[in-house]
Amino acid sequence: MRRLIRWWPLPALILLLIFPWVYRQPYYHVLGFNVLLFATMAVSWNIMGGYTGYKSLGHSAFFGLGAYLVAIAANELGWNPLWSAPIMALVVTVVAMVLGWIMLRTTGSAFVIATIAMLLIFRLLANNLRGITKGAPGLSQPLPPWTPEFSRMPFFYYMLFWLIIALLVSAYIRRSRFGLGLLAIRDDEGKAEMVGVNTTLYKVLAFGASAYFVAVGGGIWSYHATHISPIFAFDIIVGVEMILVTMLGGLGTLWGPVLGAFIYIPAADFILFQFGSSTAHLIILGGLMILILLFLPQGILPTISEWLEKRRTPRAAHTGARSMAEMQTPSGGPEPDTPDTYVSAVKQETS
Amino acid sequence: MNLPSVNVLIQVAIVGLLTGGVYALMAAGLTLVFGVMRVINIAHGAFLVFSAYLSYWLFTGYGLDPFLSMIITVPLLFIIGLTFQQFMLSRLRNEPGLVVLVTFSLALTLEGLMGTIFESTGRSIRTSYTSEVLQLPLGDLTLRLPFVRLAGFVAAVIALYLLYLLLTRSDLGRAIRATIQNRDAAQLVGVNIARVQALTFGLGLGSVAAGGAIFSLIWTFNAASHEEWISKMLSVIVLGGMGSLPGAFIAALIMGVAESLASVTMTAYISPIVFYLILFLTLIFRPQGLMGTVIRKG
Repeated sequence: MRRLIRWWPLPALILLLIFPWVYRQPYYHVLGFNVLLFATMAVSWNIMGGYTGYKSLGHSAFFGLGAYLVAIAANELGWNPLWSAPIMALVVTVVAMVLGWIMLRTTGSAFVIATIAMLLIFRLLANNLRGITKGAPGLSQPLPPWTPEFSRMPFFYYMLFWLIIALLVSAYIRRSRFGLGLLAIRDDEGKAEMVGVNTTLYKVLAFGASAYFVAVGGGIWSYHATHISPIFAFDIIVGVEMILVTMLGGLGTLWGPVLGAFIYIPAADFILFQFGSSTAHLIILGGLMILILLFLPQGILPTISEWLEKRRTPRAAHTGARSMAEMQTPSGGPEPDTPDTYVSAVKQETS
Repeated sequence: MNLPSVNVLIQVAIVGLLTGGVYALMAAGLTLVFGVMRVINIAHGAFLVFSAYLSYWLFTGYGLDPFLSMIITVPLLFIIGLTFQQFMLSRLRNEPGLVVLVTFSLALTLEGLMGTIFESTGRSIRTSYTSEVLQLPLGDLTLRLPFVRLAGFVAAVIALYLLYLLLTRSDLGRAIRATIQNRDAAQLVGVNIARVQALTFGLGLGSVAAGGAIFSLIWTFNAASHEEWISKMLSVIVLGGMGSLPGAFIAALIMGVAESLASVTMTAYISPIVFYLILFLTLIFRPQGLMGTVIRKG
């Protein structure tokens, strides 16, 4: 039975594949696209914010950068956004790694401020470099060639493809030595450094990786929207929603960001539809985020798995005996989650 | 680029200096809260705009001059700050990373509330003295100083001086400074840290209410303005050294002059980039700022 449960992504994928054919109105295709877009970007943000513990508030800079690069390439060079998005995202990743290398000299709150400043600089540039970006009114690009009634469906499937890639990369990182190093940095950067993790290199690589899929998402979004402008492309809210979605589902877990996006994006859309104003949307978004941070800081998935764990071993959970045993034999039991275990795991691997 | 004459530059620099004084008052609470609690209150900008709206409302509804409306807005924001720290932020005491996110969410909520109540059109207060300009002869050039900026500067300096007296002469001030220096030691000698933190948060918002009243006289604002202003205030306190009140004052003057000069030598639209670049460069090359200590992890 438990083995069967492990295969749940397969039926979920099949459901997603037939979804656009069951709900045929473009409204559902757009909603589905948005869910997949934010799921992809949250999975990406999670590599830095969740695994490494550096929470960037400025990731919409990479979203906007990807969107603009793709739109400019489509207009000036005639490149099709569908294949130029992943290429332009590589450019964004390089930019992110250079900026990350500078910004990651700071930690904690200072890092958060630095990422906000980075976003604002990009927005200011997008507004003012009129020769390249056409300024505040924004840029238009060619419409997709396929027939209007299917116009949203290809975007849905293409975004689904990228969500799967992002999840595979995230899962691979999580299980690799590299990922172990990132978790060690999150728990105690000083100790991680001491046991031989090249923390600067690891953080810069993680920052680059976390920018990549956000930029891919921005590029595809730019084609989907056909018209982009600085306020929407470099909107701080997009970055906040990546965080909200991740924290709702479970910070630092593989599936948390996806679960969060599947809950939050439709809910936000419903609220926007009900109240019809973006200010009401802000109240709900902010209020919801405060509630999650105050009462569910771990997110849904870790809370559920903790609860299941307690149910399975009722007595041990009270005495803490089981977790002590796990700490002594890291090979047995589920994932280690006490701070020093990641550091000691790295130590074992390197020695 | 055609450079303006020296006379114009002097004129502009002095107006920048006056503006910087107001920036100092607006940012004082932010740096004070960071000093005591080691957290950054991103909602500081939203509370600035919120208190500016309060002053606007008191002016248009009851004809109360913004300088006088401080008597109402400062205690009100003090109580809001106290309550907010006591009942919400204290729950997250050990996780500064979460506090940043919570205060950011609060800023968004406030923006939504203000946007719903006051709509998105820009507001500003026009009093009888708004467009008055003082002519000050100085050697062979005449300085033209907008009255509002001069009065705002004087009011801001008085408010900052009162805050300074409170911090240096009162028991609460001693407790606050002790907590900034070394929280554990302060607790050891009997300082009630939770109480000091709540009062500091109150003082932080109280001072931003005073700043907001002056702010409402000088600038046009709407609900979304807080994003731009929190970035400016963060630049000020980072440059000054986070947690240092004198540092914030000097940094605010520098920023005021730099921004003012940038606005006449570059195009006005791109001049805010001066703030962001100073912020970025300070964080990277001199994280302790002019007069502060290095921001440690958290």
